[in-house]
Amino acid sequence: MWINMGPQHPMTHGLWNLRVKIDGEMILDVDPEMGYLHRGIEKISEDRHYNEVITLMDRCCYVAGFAWEHLYILSAEEALGVHPPERAEYLRVLCEEFQRIGSHLMWYAAFVQDLGLMSPFLYGMRDRDLVLDLFQSYTGARMTYEYMRVGGVRNDLPPGFSDQARKVLDWLDARFPEYDQLCLGSTIFRRRCDDLGVLKARDCVAHGVTGPMLRSAGMKRDLRKDRPYSAYDRLEFDVAVAEAADVTARYLVRMEEMRQSVRILRQVVDWLDHHPGPVLADHLPRWLGAPYAPIGNEGYLLKRNYPKGVGLSAIEEPHGEALAYVVNDGGEHPYRVKFRSPVFANISASRQYLVGYHVADIPPIMGSVDVCVGEVDR
Amino acid sequence: MSGATLYSVSYALSSALLDGLGSILPGPARAVVTNPNVLVGLAVLIFAVILLAASMLNTILLIWWERKLLGRFMDRRGAMHVGFAGLLQNFADGLKLFRKNTFQPTEADALGFYGGPLAYMVTSMILFGVLPISSGWNSGVLPLTLLLALAIFSFAPLFIFVSAWSSNNKYSLMGGMRSAAQMIAYEVPILLAVVAVVIVSGSFDLTTIVYEQQNYWFWGPLVVALIVFVAGMLAEMERIPFDLPEAEAELVEGWNTEYGGMLFAFFMLADYLRALVGSILVVLLFLGGWTLPTWVPSALTSFPLAGIFWFMIKTYTVFGLFVWVRASLPRVRTDQLLRVGWNRMIPLSLLSIFLAAVLVTVKCLPVFGCLPSMGV
Repeated sequence: MWINMGPQHPMTHGLWNLRVKIDGEMILDVDPEMGYLHRGIEKISEDRHYNEVITLMDRCCYVAGFAWEHLYILSAEEALGVHPPERAEYLRVLCEEFQRIGSHLMWYAAFVQDLGLMSPFLYGMRDRDLVLDLFQSYTGARMTYEYMRVGGVRNDLPPGFSDQARKVLDWLDARFPEYDQLCLGSTIFRRRCDDLGVLKARDCVAHGVTGPMLRSAGMKRDLRKDRPYSAYDRLEFDVAVAEAADVTARYLVRMEEMRQSVRILRQVVDWLDHHPGPVLADHLPRWLGAPYAPIGNEGYLLKRNYPKGVGLSAIEEPHGEALAYVVNDGGEHPYRVKFRSPVFANISASRQYLVGYHVADIPPIMGSVDVCVGEVDR
Repeated sequence: MSGATLYSVSYALSSALLDGLGSILPGPARAVVTNPNVLVGLAVLIFAVILLAASMLNTILLIWWERKLLGRFMDRRGAMHVGFAGLLQNFADGLKLFRKNTFQPTEADALGFYGGPLAYMVTSMILFGVLPISSGWNSGVLPLTLLLALAIFSFAPLFIFVSAWSSNNKYSLMGGMRSAAQMIAYEVPILLAVVAVVIVSGSFDLTTIVYEQQNYWFWGPLVVALIVFVAGMLAEMERIPFDLPEAEAELVEGWNTEYGGMLFAFFMLADYLRALVGSILVVLLFLGGWTLPTWVPSALTSFPLAGIFWFMIKTYTVFGLFVWVRASLPRVRTDQLLRVGWNRMIPLSLLSIFLAAVLVTVKCLPVFGCLPSMGV
């Protein structure tokens, strides 16, 4: 019997369809269908100024907007030959790591909800709100930030931010043991999640599966370490790795990543406290530097003369390795923008880690994949 | 309180009503009104209406209690806005459901689709009528109330399965199958655990069982039976961690996926009614029903309606424990659930029967005291 889990189904956490062939409670075959949320972001980008694309990036993944802004900005800067000031790089790391915590907390909430754990869902959402409060304090938005700019970031942090951030980090540090207690401390949780949805490192590589799923299979690969971007080469942190390649291992990896993010953020906040400076490069043409200011003829003339170039960037997004490719043909818009979504690859491999388990295992397994359909379909 | 029972109250109400009616009606009509059969019939009707109102009120209060408690466990407040502390929220929700359009999926079997929830609701309501709440609040002396209650309780899988199957939905069907498998699997340990209580109290009558607990409540010596019974009840009520028939993560809403509006409200009410009955049974069988231990000052037990008051306190506390479990445990898987049911619960319940037999043989326990005179 084939059943359609989706596109409107509580398990999907978005808008996609998992066709499942079942015999009783056993899964015989699965067939993921994506594309319900396709908005043509890559194509629309070809018709937008470089800074206007940032608006679209926020909508790529609604729980990890900063990560996608960061991804796009890195490749756009490479394509345009712009270099941000150092403080802006640290600010971007601040954004991305807080976003990683926010995204992982969102994942935690959704994942435990899939298992039927009701209270930790709200604990996760409650703590994510603190991170969103921080975002709101310096970007004005809780979800779609539009904060990063080609050549830097929009504005500096408000006064008192670092104290608030440290408070949040302390609070989060104290919460992680509680999360572990509610999940790892529960026999039912271990019975449900151990040896579930196993995807070995070899299969991960074969299917292009990246991020926490890959690291949970024992492979120590993290672009922040292997191919450092922004300020990551100046920061100290460890790569979270687990061995078992099952749902519990993915849980452990994400939890450890949150702890490492807190560790990174403490360094970043300290650095930002002691190194004031500009947050936007000053050699930008007017139309890049002030995106929403009225654009004069001068600006239009400048953009025509922009040097041609190609930008390729890869970052460790909360869900995995994301790539962006931006081609600059000297015009006011990017000639071509192309992204690689980690979740697309992770979902595509679902036949590998779903077949042979029970129907009741689908939500926890797909929960441990951490699906964000916005970036899958773009 | 001791003299007035629920039936005597409704009888008095009925006769007062008919007397008043007879005094204003002309001759022939008066003869009809003063007919003793009419009097008894009206008394029974009033009795039933009181029971219905009490069951519905309690159910809705129970939902409120669960929402508030769950809210606190989750670091939030629960319903707050309608009525004092959100007390009227569920009435508002009920009204909303009442106004909603009832629809039926194409190719759904109308008889099963509409009959299922109705029968489920009705059997759950009957259940509430069978149980004694205090010395006055019971449906007369029935020698086999416990057996009757459990028999009606076990109707549920049939009606759930019928309504699930006739919904013509794959999720509903899977939920219905799970529900049937689960309820039948946990019916057995529940009955065996109850046998332990029956052995010790020597009666199937719930009122007698309560009075047999005058020296000590049964949860102490029969703690194994209590564990089995509570776990089984959790499964029967389909609450987390055993709520797989309506596991919303994979089965959308399980066997009631296709139900909306008032039919959904029926399921909801019946579910909570069964949860209420489950808590009541725990109180009756293991926690001394409406009685309090003898060392409690008599001022606490002698005010009007004290029995009902203490009974409700106990019931809502027991239900609070169920809510606590729901707030802190994940859901188990079908095969794990059934394995626990057949491999762990049944041996445990057999052990509890053995312990009950030992208890009856020795008659007195060092800490607890002696059994009262056996009811046989």
